[in-house]
Amino acid sequence: MANLEFPINVIDGNKLKISFDLKLYSKEAITATCYKYTGKYYIHESCEENTVSILFESKDKSDISQTVVKEFCNNLIDQEIRHNINKDFGYIRDLIVEEAFKPVNK
Amino acid sequence: MKYEYTILPFRFDHFSNEEYLLTNDVGEYIFLKNADFEKFVTHELDSKSDLFYDLASKQIATTDKVEDVVKMLATKFRTKKSILRDFTSLHMVVPTLRCNSSCIYCQVKRHEKSDHSADMTKKTAKNIVKCIFDGPSPYIKIEFQGGDPSIDFEMVKYIIEEAEWVNLFKKRDLSFVICTNLTLLTPDMVKYLKKHKCDISTSLDGPKDLHDTNRPLQDKKLDHHEIFEKNVKMVRDIWGDADCVSALMTTSKYSLGRYKEIIDEYIRLGFNNIFLRSLNPYGFASEYKEKVAYPIEEFIENFKEGLDYIIEINKKGTFFVEGFAALLLKRILTPFATGFVDLQSPAGVGIAGAIYDYDGSVYVADEGRMLARFKNYYFKLGNVNENTFQEMFNGKLLHEIIENSCTECLPGCADCVFQPYCGADPVRNYSVQGDVVGHRPTNEMCIKTKAIIHYLMEKLHEGDPETIKIFWSWIK
Repeated sequence: MANLEFPINVIDGNKLKISFDLKLYSKEAITATCYKYTGKYYIHESCEENTVSILFESKDKSDISQTVVKEFCNNLIDQEIRHNINKDFGYIRDLIVEEAFKPVNK
Repeated sequence: MKYEYTILPFRFDHFSNEEYLLTNDVGEYIFLKNADFEKFVTHELDSKSDLFYDLASKQIATTDKVEDVVKMLATKFRTKKSILRDFTSLHMVVPTLRCNSSCIYCQVKRHEKSDHSADMTKKTAKNIVKCIFDGPSPYIKIEFQGGDPSIDFEMVKYIIEEAEWVNLFKKRDLSFVICTNLTLLTPDMVKYLKKHKCDISTSLDGPKDLHDTNRPLQDKKLDHHEIFEKNVKMVRDIWGDADCVSALMTTSKYSLGRYKEIIDEYIRLGFNNIFLRSLNPYGFASEYKEKVAYPIEEFIENFKEGLDYIIEINKKGTFFVEGFAALLLKRILTPFATGFVDLQSPAGVGIAGAIYDYDGSVYVADEGRMLARFKNYYFKLGNVNENTFQEMFNGKLLHEIIENSCTECLPGCADCVFQPYCGADPVRNYSVQGDVVGHRPTNEMCIKTKAIIHYLMEKLHEGDPETIKIFWSWIK
């Protein structure tokens, strides 16, 4: 178990790169997760075939700990669930809004 | 095993290490253990279990026909958004920029008492009243702001009487409120305000030393707090009703760590509510930020301590309300709409409230007027002496601002679990972050509002019956 690590490719203390497989995660979920980190980090996304790579650079030049990336991974799972639920059932929200404003659309 | 049920639209987030919080568009909420959440979203939650029934009762999932649940949710959604139905009802009017205070966090470039260059003319006042009544709302509240409007009381009287005259024909539900530091009010003025049903809103920052530090009078020989206390009594004696005057507090850095004293002072002076309000970043407050401002995290900690203290006071038998918590609790616990202009979706700027400056300029919000003092006219809708109501309130600018202030589709808000209880403040976003949309990960208002809602949710989840009873008493 000691050898199991998050797939982090550390470039420099205040920069790191992490990659995700588009077969597992949607582009929308990845970008939505990135947005949450744009307060503390400059973030660049690039895509090659089925892999999205994300480059983090801390704005205050401090070192990035592995915990940040682990949290990013967990947040990405949440974001993917939101994306999937919205994909499957989001149309119901449209129906609710349409129904709600029916009286003024008559 | 997979169960047949339809998941209805909801938002979620981790509430603690062990639980998720789920909310839906109409404000229903439920806490789920991590394992239950995973079962729920993978359709492995028994649709005959008590937990599923709870989810169904909150309209977060259903085994019924979706169309029937949609109808029910739509009715609730329409109620939540009913604030939109009437359009602008709060009209803030600035009769003068003259003021006798020199508050350390003042947002307005106030004028000296003797400087009449920023007094409203009768022509402008008449056009403002015309513009207000050209709007469609059946409810009209005219709120006098300043400067201190009591300095130009003749203009306040002119506007009240002009509005009452016009209303003889328009027949709206008309009300007035004057925002004043109270120090210049005389018994005759109070009798006039009472006769014309003009409520009084004032400012109280706490005990004497703090109030006088935050809100000194320009005439240093005068004791602001002493005059304030004397005049509160005078107003109540004339009115015969302790609730005729309400007070607002602003937190400067000198207020931090002193919320218990501030709350005690409100109670000592006979107030039964307080709105623990953080400093806003406009006007002088941002120019002299280092002198009066503080990190938002410090405000949040103070707010929590203040709220706990207020709950304890209620438990000991004194009815006393924290206004911001009461507003949020109403959104969390009831299906009803709440008319708080600063926290609506879409934002209340322009479409719920607007401000008319002494020269007739119309801004979407008071903070838009503050920006104009620094030569930034982005939030100016027009001028009552030059533009019609339609041009200003149905123009491109207001449409653009409102389109960009629906939290249902703003980045960082759209999937936020607290979205149903929150709102957008495009003027603050623009002022602090450079555009009306704003950047949520670094947005102090977002950090503050989320932290406070989270704290209230913790209280609700703890379920102390006494606390819950107190919360309900605040929103009745």
